[in-house]
Amino acid sequence: MTARGTPSRFLRSVLQNGVGRYVCQLKRISIIFSKNAQSSLGVREFIEEGVVDYARKNPGTVVYVSPQTCRIPKIVAEYLNGNVREEIITSKTSPQISELLTKLTNQSGLENIRIRKPFHTDSPSIQGQWHPFTNRPLSVGPIRPQKQEAE
Amino acid sequence: MASGYILNRGALTLGIHCQRVYRNVTLSQVREKKRWMKAYTFLMAKKLKLEGPPPPKPRSQKPHWDYHTEVQAFSTRLHENFSLELLKTAFINPCYLKAEQERRQGLGMELETSALLLKNNIQLSAKGAVFTQSFLTDWCRTNFPSLPVEGVESITGHITSAEVVTYVARNLGIEDLTMSAESPVPDDVLHSTFMAVIGALQESSGDERTGFFLRDFLVTQLIGKDLFDMWTVVNPMGLLVEELSKRNAPLPEPRLIRSAGTSTVLPLYFVGLYSDKKLLAQGPGETLVAAEEEAARVALRKLYGYNENRKPFDFSPQQMYHQPLIQSVSSL
Repeated sequence: MTARGTPSRFLRSVLQNGVGRYVCQLKRISIIFSKNAQSSLGVREFIEEGVVDYARKNPGTVVYVSPQTCRIPKIVAEYLNGNVREEIITSKTSPQISELLTKLTNQSGLENIRIRKPFHTDSPSIQGQWHPFTNRPLSVGPIRPQKQEAE
Repeated sequence: MASGYILNRGALTLGIHCQRVYRNVTLSQVREKKRWMKAYTFLMAKKLKLEGPPPPKPRSQKPHWDYHTEVQAFSTRLHENFSLELLKTAFINPCYLKAEQERRQGLGMELETSALLLKNNIQLSAKGAVFTQSFLTDWCRTNFPSLPVEGVESITGHITSAEVVTYVARNLGIEDLTMSAESPVPDDVLHSTFMAVIGALQESSGDERTGFFLRDFLVTQLIGKDLFDMWTVVNPMGLLVEELSKRNAPLPEPRLIRSAGTSTVLPLYFVGLYSDKKLLAQGPGETLVAAEEEAARVALRKLYGYNENRKPFDFSPQQMYHQPLIQSVSSL
């Protein structure tokens, strides 16, 4: 598919985040894993080692750890703007999961699609938009609208 | 016709299903092709198509939900020290209390045992709304000293309007925590909940912190907004004349200063407003009237200090956040 056909958005943040104060956008994270499946070996290790540290480091994020009978362990991340992201962590090691969690924490929750421009400004032009008379001196002679011709 | 078909189909499927259950009542598991499955999935798909998706459930009724922790996390996430009891009260709406009471009575519980010992957020909400109004008015007065009362009112009215406040509340995760009778929280309930949160913050942390909270989350919505998007002025020229006569300046004199393509379908006129032989403002337009009106708006923006290239608002973090920075520098 060509680049124009893919969904895209402009670079922006949720609620002008960071203008006043920074708010971590990840509000809730649930780690769903199995107690005895082979595929959640790394998750179990991560829960023994790193999950408490993670929760302590991010008091604004609620961490739920739920053992279920499942073959595919996953992380469900919910963001402040209502978006939910599911990441499958089948046979990932503990450091990999920790890395993934850090990535999810730092994201804004807006969908991960092509960004049209890598920059953004709220005031596009300080001098004003260009028009045919920009940087031209005011005309000296009288100007009259050509009414007959306009009609 | 279609519903009859579905009913028929449903009965048939159910019949087959029951039969199978009955026949295999002694067996724990059937290891064969589930021939009823196709009809069943077909029926479910048809039902989904007819009835539409089920109504959305509130987040609190889905798995993985601990209310106390969520409220605590909400407080720390926004870097505020809410008193948790007040914050929990702020989330309880009167409509929820009423619905819950009715639900308990419907379940046949007695009035004495099922009485809800919860306060609702009406007082907090009223307090928050009053504080928000006064803070925003003060903020507008300090940032735009020459803006008239109607302008200040329209700016505060825009910020405290249901549209902006519910947008902010939805993006701060207040909707999940709100206790409301209806499942997608209605806009007015969300609005009063947000005001109650502000009221709770004011009671627990004082006016200054609440002011910073409002500045960081509500006033930032003003970024990129034009004055006349919020304030509908029908006759800007009349307002400009009024303003200039208040300041004892000579009345504005519109002059056509530039024009291009006047005989085409896309004419362009530039009207300049002169007062005391000085150019106040110039504005473009497709007709002379439109250009004059635009010039008057530009002149008004300049007078009120709300022009596009003004100095940006001050959103610098408060003193509390500076302290760790200073410490880290000194430790280095």
